[in-house]
Amino acid sequence: MRAFLLRRLLHTVFVVWAVVTVVFFLVRLTGDPVLFLVDQSATQEEIAHTRALLGLDRPLAAQYVDFLAAAARGDFGVSIREKRPAMRMVLEHLWPATVELAAAALVLSTILAVPLGVISATHRGRAADHASRLASLFLQSMPSFWLGIMLILLFAVHLGGLLPAYGTGTWRHLVLPALALAAAPLAQNVRLVRAGMLEVLDQDYVRTARAKGVAEPGVVYRHALRNAALPVITVSGLSLGFMLSGALVIETVFAWPGMGRLIVQAVPGRDFPVIQAGVFVFALVFVAINLVVDVLYTVADPRVRLQ
Amino acid sequence: MRTLAVSLVVLALASLAHAQATDPEAELVVAMPDDTTNMDPRIGMGSIRSTYIRQVFESLVDVDPQGKPVPGLALAWKPVSDTAWEFMLRKGVKFHDGEPFNADTVLFNLDRMFRRNLDKHGIKDVAAGTQFDKTLPYVSRWEKVDDFTVRVHTSEPAPTLWDALGREPLVPRAWTIKHGVDALNERPVGTGPWKLVEWKRKTSMLLERNETYWGTRTLARRLRLQVIPEASARLAALRAGQVSLVDAVPPLDATVLAREPAITVVSGPQKLNCRLYLNGRLRTQYDSGGKDGLYGDTKTRLALTLGVNREAIIKKIFQGYALANASPVATVSYGYAAQEPYPYDPKRARTLLAEAGWKDTGKGWEKNGEPLVLNLHYAAKHYGQAFDETTAAVAEMLKDLGVQVTLKPLDFGTILQITQKGTLPYNGGFAACRTSNNLDADDFLRDWTAFTLINWTPFPPELLAAYAAQRRELDAGKRLRLLADLQRQVRDWAPVVPLYQEVKVYAHAARVTGFAPLTELHMDFRGVGVRK
Repeated sequence: MRAFLLRRLLHTVFVVWAVVTVVFFLVRLTGDPVLFLVDQSATQEEIAHTRALLGLDRPLAAQYVDFLAAAARGDFGVSIREKRPAMRMVLEHLWPATVELAAAALVLSTILAVPLGVISATHRGRAADHASRLASLFLQSMPSFWLGIMLILLFAVHLGGLLPAYGTGTWRHLVLPALALAAAPLAQNVRLVRAGMLEVLDQDYVRTARAKGVAEPGVVYRHALRNAALPVITVSGLSLGFMLSGALVIETVFAWPGMGRLIVQAVPGRDFPVIQAGVFVFALVFVAINLVVDVLYTVADPRVRLQ
Repeated sequence: MRTLAVSLVVLALASLAHAQATDPEAELVVAMPDDTTNMDPRIGMGSIRSTYIRQVFESLVDVDPQGKPVPGLALAWKPVSDTAWEFMLRKGVKFHDGEPFNADTVLFNLDRMFRRNLDKHGIKDVAAGTQFDKTLPYVSRWEKVDDFTVRVHTSEPAPTLWDALGREPLVPRAWTIKHGVDALNERPVGTGPWKLVEWKRKTSMLLERNETYWGTRTLARRLRLQVIPEASARLAALRAGQVSLVDAVPPLDATVLAREPAITVVSGPQKLNCRLYLNGRLRTQYDSGGKDGLYGDTKTRLALTLGVNREAIIKKIFQGYALANASPVATVSYGYAAQEPYPYDPKRARTLLAEAGWKDTGKGWEKNGEPLVLNLHYAAKHYGQAFDETTAAVAEMLKDLGVQVTLKPLDFGTILQITQKGTLPYNGGFAACRTSNNLDADDFLRDWTAFTLINWTPFPPELLAAYAAQRRELDAGKRLRLLADLQRQVRDWAPVVPLYQEVKVYAHAARVTGFAPLTELHMDFRGVGVRK
């Protein structure tokens, strides 16, 4: 286990370095942030002055060396547009807004998916199965911005302000964006659980468990579901990564101050420090989630060993 | 005299009645499409930023809802010679931290604007949107006449100095020196009617009434500028009663909202002129690949201008919430002179193309083997859906004229990059909108005097001379005539294809009172209340 973790740590350092290096050079190919800071009527002289003020006139190699040295100390520079430390801005958006929303959506999309998927599989071809499959199809087909607006109109406007239309701060603010964000992964997980369960329920060990007189809930939840869970763990891990790295549409509709909007605004605005800090955090998040997923495999299926 | 006295009494009573009918403890919640990226006015004052910054900071010259200059932190301003202006400052004004406003404040701000004495003050320079030392090189020095009078000297007559300097919001001297310029972005302290209480970035800014404000006390106790990026979500929040007022209502929604009894829709023209910029530079004036811009000829540009049906665009895309403006100056700027509209006249446009030497080949126009092509770049999803639709509609109208148009949607940064590097194709152009933080027409007219991002058809010598003449004329009446004449000449010379001038639309709950859109980029909430 220790060797595994050490190897993964080295792997993480390499992946994060490679990602931030690629991003450092790629974002500089996209254009000049100075043009966003000066007036439309700025002359070349004014543009050059601002570029020098920001240190963007120095050789690229020098900028890169300085960036790596500072990043190693956790300093990703100051946002070109907001004049604040870039990493602080990213962390402000990561916690609590992004983590709260992603966690709530993950819980909703997995906790609801398991019983719905199981019921669908154990009632194959019957009304509950049809209803579950239809609902999954519906949830997966709906564009999230449309679902978000519909939820706002229903709960905030037509039901007399039952839930707030925007903002953060209380659990009531979290309900609608979490529902909208969870919809598609929930539907995906229901279908995965159903497919996995249908495959497992025909296996010999399930039949053996039934023959030994294990009660049906025990057969389904202890013997079958555990074996059907691996794909769900994989997909949920990936979903969580995407939710953490930016649920842009949901954040826009519900005015949720998450990472997605921060980074998506930073990219067209060529705010290099914020993009670099954001990508660094994303890389760490994805590596960490992959690690957790690997560990969870061993819990769900003891036959899997970490090597 | 007696009539005036009676009118004043009636006005005072009406104001009092209005104030009494509103809730003095109310929180006014305004749904904004975005947050500001900075509060230090030196960094920049784009349209959304302006609404945030001007609640806290004030300038020497204020503006009324009609766009007329009114006393702000200066009670009066006047030229005292051909090359000097004096600003007489308001007494008894204090910044939110108690620092008094006086001539030293103004001198400090002028030092920041023109990047002088920064070391002496111990403050750093910032990447400023407007670099006054470059845009107003004729401003030579400034001095304190007394504690409440400042004199600014120029090397040549500068009739618009009151506007160029007077509209810049002012920051406190001692506070900025003590806390540094970065603190202006974190916890800004101004003289404005609202004090910043809490700023959750990308979420909301909470402001509170400045109880020691020199002007009329604000009607609401708190003002919350709430970021809701999606327009339909902003409107849903208004319908749910969770916000009081909505900024940037899409024109299509405005007509529907106007029919709802609990909601009031108001609108006003903005200083936002949207245009097609065409490459008319000489090969020596940009990175050309050896060719002059295809649109250097006035008749060709005029032909394209007459090929655009503005009335249809305004009616169908903007639902009437836009203006056709043939002047290069916004209709709400000081010195604007209405110009003869460009008619939609495809027949005349074709004649003009023929007069310009283009031959109709049946498949399009050609001159010396060169087809009349327009590679039309535009910043997609930057100025709003109506702008994108307009660009597409204009492309089709120009195709009907026989111009081979290729639409190139790009992100805004890439457009800026192309215009800055000068890599616009010789047969290229771009659609963009021009705004202004100033009141005077000069700000729009100087667009074609120096090579900038948006100057692709530089003024010929006679227009440069006409521009310089108005910029040196101190006699107000004479200058207005020169401005009008220059606008007529520019209209006929057609440096750009004007598309529309934006009319901004707001919606508010019917219980909100006193909101009037400004012609400026920001919103003013000083007289806005919420009914009890």
